[in-house]
Amino acid sequence: MTTTDIPAPTARPKRPATAPKRRPKREREGAAWVFLSPWVLGAIVLTLLPMAVSLYLSFTDYNLFDPPQWVGLRNYTQMFTEDPRYWRSVVTTVTYVVIAVPLQLALALVVALALKSMKRGKAFYRSAFYAPSLLGASMSIALVWRAVFNDGGTVDNLLGTGGWVNKPGWALLAVALLTVWQFGAPMVIFLAGLQQIPAELYEAAAVDGAGKWRQFLSVTVPMLSPVLFFNLVLQTIQAFQVFTPAFAVSAGKGGPADSTLVYTMYLYDRGFVASHMGYASAMAWVLLLVIGVVTAVLFRTSRSWVFYASEGDR
Amino acid sequence: MPGHRTKGFCATAAALALCAVLAGCGGSGDSVGGGKVVLRYTWWGNPDRAERTEQAVALFEKQHPDISVQTSFAGYDTYKQKLATQAAGGDAPDVMQLDYRQIDQYASGDVLLDLAKQKAVLRTSEIDPGLLDTGRVEGKQYAIPQGRGTETVVYDVKTWKESGVPLPRQGWTWSDWADAMRALAKKTGKPGGTDLGWSEDAFEVWLRGQGKALYTKDGGLGFTADDLTQWWTFTDKLRREGAVSPAEQTTQLDGTVENTPLGRGKAVSDANWDAPASGFLALVPSGIVLAPMPSGEDGTPGQYFKPSMFLGISANTGHAKEAAQLIDFLLNDKEAARILGATRGIPVNETIREETEPQLKDFDKTVADYQSSFEGTLKDPPQAPPSGDNALQTTFQRDYDQVSYERMSPREAAENYVTEAKAELRS
Repeated sequence: MTTTDIPAPTARPKRPATAPKRRPKREREGAAWVFLSPWVLGAIVLTLLPMAVSLYLSFTDYNLFDPPQWVGLRNYTQMFTEDPRYWRSVVTTVTYVVIAVPLQLALALVVALALKSMKRGKAFYRSAFYAPSLLGASMSIALVWRAVFNDGGTVDNLLGTGGWVNKPGWALLAVALLTVWQFGAPMVIFLAGLQQIPAELYEAAAVDGAGKWRQFLSVTVPMLSPVLFFNLVLQTIQAFQVFTPAFAVSAGKGGPADSTLVYTMYLYDRGFVASHMGYASAMAWVLLLVIGVVTAVLFRTSRSWVFYASEGDR
Repeated sequence: MPGHRTKGFCATAAALALCAVLAGCGGSGDSVGGGKVVLRYTWWGNPDRAERTEQAVALFEKQHPDISVQTSFAGYDTYKQKLATQAAGGDAPDVMQLDYRQIDQYASGDVLLDLAKQKAVLRTSEIDPGLLDTGRVEGKQYAIPQGRGTETVVYDVKTWKESGVPLPRQGWTWSDWADAMRALAKKTGKPGGTDLGWSEDAFEVWLRGQGKALYTKDGGLGFTADDLTQWWTFTDKLRREGAVSPAEQTTQLDGTVENTPLGRGKAVSDANWDAPASGFLALVPSGIVLAPMPSGEDGTPGQYFKPSMFLGISANTGHAKEAAQLIDFLLNDKEAARILGATRGIPVNETIREETEPQLKDFDKTVADYQSSFEGTLKDPPQAPPSGDNALQTTFQRDYDQVSYERMSPREAAENYVTEAKAELRS
């Protein structure tokens, strides 16, 4: 068996003999900065500067009304050693991430697989499943969610559960389901990833006698692993910052009995309800660090399970 | 004043930084339409109050064609949070409705304008000096009370009468109340009333019935963990018996009448402030009656006349005079008083009060009659609560949630609360 049926490379088009004269480097850079300026300005004024101020505030006691008082590391030590509600919010958030992210990704993948093999109506279903991702982040949908899971709401009427949002053991699940339901974005990415997998691989696997399930495990999963990894990182980062669903479902209180008091809800509570902006800023910085660490850990583990097709060429 | 600028900057930057994490912050600017002075006026309340306020504002705009008023309102909890954020960012509305609990914090934080500067347009001569004083902080008039209110046990009169349980009467005690709740639950099959353990306001009435207070004169905590344990043990027991609303109902309370068990048709009574109780009219079609709050066991009344709502002007307003004109209109104009009725309590302008009282109709008359039934029998109101109380009101409800969901004993929750309250009041 030979591989000589690959056509020999044809002659490349030649470069024009007289290339247009390039502008001086400095001038080109100037133009770049002009076009970048709106973004740079926005980044500095709306992101970097507030971040710097918030870092400063995290070392102060600041009640919004009086000038900030420097307290050194007190906010941080208080958070870790004296605040049981802080730890409750950490546990709640981690629980939420562990429930919501795998569920959401699994659902996105299942729907993407179903859509891929669909012959007709693909466009319709793709839009229909993507719509919640566009709408779901809005407050109004979150409020509808609250009504659906409230006592006397739809779920109560159907299942006779007495309303999930009023039960400490169930409220967080209602919040997580709101996120899971917005699986549209990872689904679209999965779908794109699935369509990249060469059909020959499935044919070869079928010839070798692999069933559908075996094909899924040995072809789809490894080939899809970079996309899976991408979705996992993205959704995990987002899940750590969950706010709107928890806020709306608990009517801004993190209740019942602090069961939906996710990290950012408690941060909001400290900053805007109790007017401890310094403490809230410190919490925001810890969250940033934790998300950084979690992402780094995910990248580290990815070496053992993410397969890039290009690696095979090496 | 460089110090002031830094502060405003820090606040804006902090708010922005947090917005980056939280998302969902909306902005609003001082827009000027057609050369008119545009005033922003915000308040909290129910739809009934909103409708009448809009009418009064429309009349004000008609009388002052060069001023346009942008109004907005929300429920108390939401309003409180939004106003705090706006105030911190130096973007407080020109005219704002304030609660007794907010004045100390806002005045000492330079959010409010000293109203003495606007004496020329803002007349206060017809307001009772004692009442007017409640808007003073360190000798300066930062806010003007709009009315007075007092708490009430409001009940579904038809259901209560049909149940055969004796109706509430003047001077009933907390044990009488508890007995009534139990009897109502037994006869009607639904809880007699709201579980009052969530409400710092109800707790205060109960405390005062024993001659104690929420705060000491110097702004410290006026009660002990034992007192709070006792109160929460009392309410928790009633909840366990099914005499008052279950945790699932209580946790939804946020100060609006729509979210009370009575408003949802799931209980026979509620305890609330008298003015917002007008909201129940639309929710309880068979009619409601206002009864006094229970007294201490020896008959000491716990409820008091509280300056119910205040009006203040932002220290940063560019239109102090026009803002003062609006407040003057809302307080001292006869036509405005007729429109507003008792939606924010009985008018503070004494001439207007005397003139309008006989003409009050419907629920306004109910509130007026209810209040006059206490004339001379209630104790003096406490002084304005210290700054930290603003956040503690929420903490109180949270800690009680732990009790009603049986995650903490009343004692544990009470000790939690007292610890946090002491830290909050110190800072």
